[in-house]
Amino acid sequence: MEVEVVPVQGELNVGPQHPGSGHMRILVKLNGDIVEDCELDVGYVHRAVEKLGENRNYMHLIPLVERPAILDSIHMNMGYVMAVEKILNVDVPERALYLRSFAAEVNRIASHLYGLGILGIFIGHSTAFMWGFGDREVWLQILEALTGARVTNSYIIPGGVRRDLTPSIIEMTKKAIVYMRKKLKDWEKIFLKNPTIMDRLQNVGVMTREQAIEWGAVGPNLRASGVNFDVRKAEPYAAYSKLDFEIPVYKEGDGYARTLVRFEEMEQSMRILEQIIKDIPEGPILADRFLKQIPPIRMKKWVQGQGRIVLPGYYASFRPPRGEAAARVEASRGELFYYVVSDGSPKPYRLRMITPSYRAIYVFKNLCKGARYADIVSIYGSLDYFPPEADR
Amino acid sequence: MIGNLLSLIRFYFFYPSFFVVIIFPGLLFTGILLLTTIWFERKAAARVQMRVGPYYASKKLGGYLQLIADALKFVFSEVIIPAGVNETLFVIAPILLLLVSILPFAVIPVSVIPQSGSVFSIYYHDFYDPNVGYGVLAGIFTCYNLLLILALESIYPIFVIFLAWVTNNRFAIVGAVRETFLSVSYDALILIATLSVAIEYHTLDLAVIVQKGIPGVIVNPIAAFIFIVGMLIGSSRFPFDIVEAETELVIGPYTEYSGFLFVLTMAGSYVGNFIYSLVFADLFLGGWYPFSGLPGAAFMTFKAVLLLFFSVFLRSVYGRYRIDQALRGSWKYLFPLSLISLITGTLVGYLWL
Repeated sequence: MEVEVVPVQGELNVGPQHPGSGHMRILVKLNGDIVEDCELDVGYVHRAVEKLGENRNYMHLIPLVERPAILDSIHMNMGYVMAVEKILNVDVPERALYLRSFAAEVNRIASHLYGLGILGIFIGHSTAFMWGFGDREVWLQILEALTGARVTNSYIIPGGVRRDLTPSIIEMTKKAIVYMRKKLKDWEKIFLKNPTIMDRLQNVGVMTREQAIEWGAVGPNLRASGVNFDVRKAEPYAAYSKLDFEIPVYKEGDGYARTLVRFEEMEQSMRILEQIIKDIPEGPILADRFLKQIPPIRMKKWVQGQGRIVLPGYYASFRPPRGEAAARVEASRGELFYYVVSDGSPKPYRLRMITPSYRAIYVFKNLCKGARYADIVSIYGSLDYFPPEADR
Repeated sequence: MIGNLLSLIRFYFFYPSFFVVIIFPGLLFTGILLLTTIWFERKAAARVQMRVGPYYASKKLGGYLQLIADALKFVFSEVIIPAGVNETLFVIAPILLLLVSILPFAVIPVSVIPQSGSVFSIYYHDFYDPNVGYGVLAGIFTCYNLLLILALESIYPIFVIFLAWVTNNRFAIVGAVRETFLSVSYDALILIATLSVAIEYHTLDLAVIVQKGIPGVIVNPIAAFIFIVGMLIGSSRFPFDIVEAETELVIGPYTEYSGFLFVLTMAGSYVGNFIYSLVFADLFLGGWYPFSGLPGAAFMTFKAVLLLFFSVFLRSVYGRYRIDQALRGSWKYLFPLSLISLITGTLVGYLWL
């Protein structure tokens, strides 16, 4: 008797109402358990940030640009402000640069923990999910004490930062570092060395060095494929040129390597934080040019009294000179690029932002081909793809 | 007159066919245990995960009543029947599923009945097992109960597939296909593990195995391990939560169900897990021995509940394997291991027992 093998083909419409899709739709073409093709239908959380950017004042844009990735808002903010500063041609005082790095690294740890939590729940590990969100809280509280908000901090403004570091925040950070180092050991035991997690991530979604460059992967995903590229080293901004840290690079290019890169980046971020606490210079936190515009009463009460910048109202509608500028920062998920064109009015003529998750869409689509159906979620999680950030 | 009536009621209440199947450890106890297990599962996971878990429904009881509240909410929520399905089959499928998973209670021996001194002693002659020398406390007395339990449990996946087929949802069907693949592998494991113990003790009667007095986990630890893994796969516990994989398949075969029908589908796997745990307690942990009567039944159920709690606790330790990894694991590593346990069983049974 001859057995006829019927190829089982079909399409699965994963999302947008699906526990494993996020804010998007994944059209999966299956052949048995193998994904033949995968179409990503993104744009469900498109907020037209770029178009809105043409209708808002420069200052009013600061809260807007950080909305696409509220869990990474310091970086979203910093890239934009750096581009605006280039047009304004303003020098940022050193203490403000250190504070920017400080906030950025705290945010990076929080964002990586979020990503690891999402990766955990995607492959069924609910403990990693809860731990990721629980441990993230420690860092969010530091951000809250420093900036006044857990997420959407709007901390960085053209010329400097809004608030100064206080001894209590330094104390909090030191405690948080001790706690996190202890906790990372537990993470390693229950998550990294867990046989189920290793099986689900190793040799899954393998991206070679060439592919990573060709597909335009950025950040930890690129570094997991053996490319040593980090904007903090390649084109140092904030205080990174004065700080000593390493860039973790792995050659394997699979989901496990991407996870390991994130883990080690958290450790490096804590090293950076320790150096900042030790080395941070005294001085103003806003450029002289803007500091002079603050009326004396406010200066005394807020800036000298509480270390907060409270600017006069007209600062919100400043007119930068004509010009264009590009800036890039290493956000938690990778290189974040801003391009701002000014025509001399209080509103930008054009604002372009290319977010790291946007670059991950093509990588995700390519990695899914030939994977198993269950691997889609582990690729998704290991890329740390965040749909709102991609849609902007 | 009243005394007569009371003793009549007492006679029928404690009649093993009623008591074991409906009261303890059957339907009623299982219902309470189900809520307790889910409560424990959530509470233990919360403990590991730096959370509080269920709390607000009854603060003094540690949130235990939250499950009752959830159950009430499910009872009164609307049952949505998707367009284009056969409504009768759609409603009947989860009921059949639960029915099949609960059936083995009828034949699992939970204790022995001594000739005197126990509430069950009046039924001694009706449930007398000549091979054991005692009466056997079971719903239906049969000396092939091991075979019957395994046969009943192995029908369970068929009803899962039936249910998925009826709902006509793609995720459900993918889940059902996964269940098909897995059921073949875990049934083979459980069957061989059980058979190796049966050969070892030269019997297909659980009561005889327990009354030997030597727990199976000592004489055949490999079979015990295989049985536990098979049980975890069979009842979709972590790390083999492959059929219901939430982030991949929503909730697998049960995707289209809502309200009370959904509760029934959820209960199926928990009841299945409890049945396997009871069988495990009998086969490998010495069951009720050395007790008898009601204390024996309680002792054996206690062991089974511990195992049930252990298997739901794994949720907070493990992630989820992929289907091909689970299949490779069970056929490449566990299947040869189960053959070794079969050989061990044969040898030990021939030489020692």
